[in-house]
Amino acid sequence: MSRVVITGMGVVTPVGRTVRDFFDALVAARSGVRPVPTALDPEGRRLVAALVDGDPATQLSGQPGARLDRGTQLALVAARNATTDAGLALDEEECERAGVYWGTGFGGATSIEESYRKLFALDGRVRPTAVVLGMSNAAAAHVSIELGLRGPILNVATACSSSASAIGEAFRAIRAGDADVAVAGGSEALVTLGNLRAWDAMQALAHADPRDPSRSCKPFSANRTGVVLGEGAAAVVLERESRARKRGATILAELAGYGNAGDARGMSQPDPDGQARAMRAALRDARIDAGDVDYLNAHGTGTLVGDEAETTAIRRAFGSDAQRLAISSTKALHGHLMGATGAAELVASVCTLRRGVLPPTAHLECVDPACDLDYVPNVARDARVEIAMSSSFGFGGMNAVLVARRYHG
Amino acid sequence: MDTLHTIRSLAAAQFGGDADAIDVDVPVNQLGIDSLGLLEFLFELEDKFAVSIPPQSMPDVPTLRDVAAAVDMMLAARAQQPT
Repeated sequence: MSRVVITGMGVVTPVGRTVRDFFDALVAARSGVRPVPTALDPEGRRLVAALVDGDPATQLSGQPGARLDRGTQLALVAARNATTDAGLALDEEECERAGVYWGTGFGGATSIEESYRKLFALDGRVRPTAVVLGMSNAAAAHVSIELGLRGPILNVATACSSSASAIGEAFRAIRAGDADVAVAGGSEALVTLGNLRAWDAMQALAHADPRDPSRSCKPFSANRTGVVLGEGAAAVVLERESRARKRGATILAELAGYGNAGDARGMSQPDPDGQARAMRAALRDARIDAGDVDYLNAHGTGTLVGDEAETTAIRRAFGSDAQRLAISSTKALHGHLMGATGAAELVASVCTLRRGVLPPTAHLECVDPACDLDYVPNVARDARVEIAMSSSFGFGGMNAVLVARRYHG
Repeated sequence: MDTLHTIRSLAAAQFGGDADAIDVDVPVNQLGIDSLGLLEFLFELEDKFAVSIPPQSMPDVPTLRDVAAAVDMMLAARAQQPT
């Protein structure tokens, strides 16, 4: 089986639109969480979110940007940045061996909500493009069209693990010889009035920190109160190792393993058993032992139940090695990017391999006895990282775990 | 500005390009407007002119001049309706 390497990365996030800015912000513990605009919180419930500043369409050359869903716009920017970073230039034949594997939880959420608003609250008219704007696979389709990639194409919707699963499936396709190259990642733009209400109704949202709203997301801290919704996109270019070497590409890391496991338990209740099985599957796939992992970018959403369950899962998967493992949740800073979060957090994990520094778990203000591992609290830490793992767990019990390894050739 | 000029400007805004360079006498597919793009454009025109444009009022693949004629016809029909 072929080895698979990462040769390009691109992000659009609430804390940075380049990989360098993104990771610098995480290391410096700069938060992208803010109070939402009044239009999204008309009742003044003090809701917070992590939004990408401005209109991503302005970063898209050509005319169609304005007529794409916001999530698709973010996807195109991230995918383009990743292919530019990879220096990817494919001829016609190579394009047929180049795939797109994309993840999104809610798809064209902004467009769908706008359609409903027009239908039920405004003039009762629905745009002819409502379907192609709103459908879940719109971003994957536009990435393939934009880049001319005509190999295998797949849209993955496994909630918050969507882009981790998408990258994992791309990895498997290349390893199995079904594609030579893939653009893989995810995008999400679901912070709308309706979605904020829905998440609030679920009592899943973090309360705004009364002193500093940017500190509202507090993963693994005893005073954590919930998730902060975010938006963004992230993409990686995966290549068969031999191809990347032949063209002299800069190899950022090896993608070494992927584990995927279901809970078969509940819709929103996390299950340490399913999470631990996904982590163990990723270790097996990468042919490494738990003790080989130097850093884990945890799912760590900041909910009371979730962070405790994840701590239990890490203990089960890593056994006695859990105690020495450096773990952080970067969601405290970039928010929960939902379908895009696995891809963004893999990018952060690859940066730890290359930069030798671990981003902290920011806002870890009070130790929780139920979360008693090394979460790299509040301050970044220098560390040589040979192997990094990134975990993503989706509603419905859908767990995906990726392993990246420093590339030595 | 007459209807055709307005439509040409709107087409340039929606599909890109210079309004003066748009040929209003070629079928819209030659302007890079596909069938869904045409539907979306007609939807915009219905909002802009406050008329309803029935699909049968123009050829399947119309020119912008055909579209303008259909809009003018609907504007005239509306003007004749008692208020």
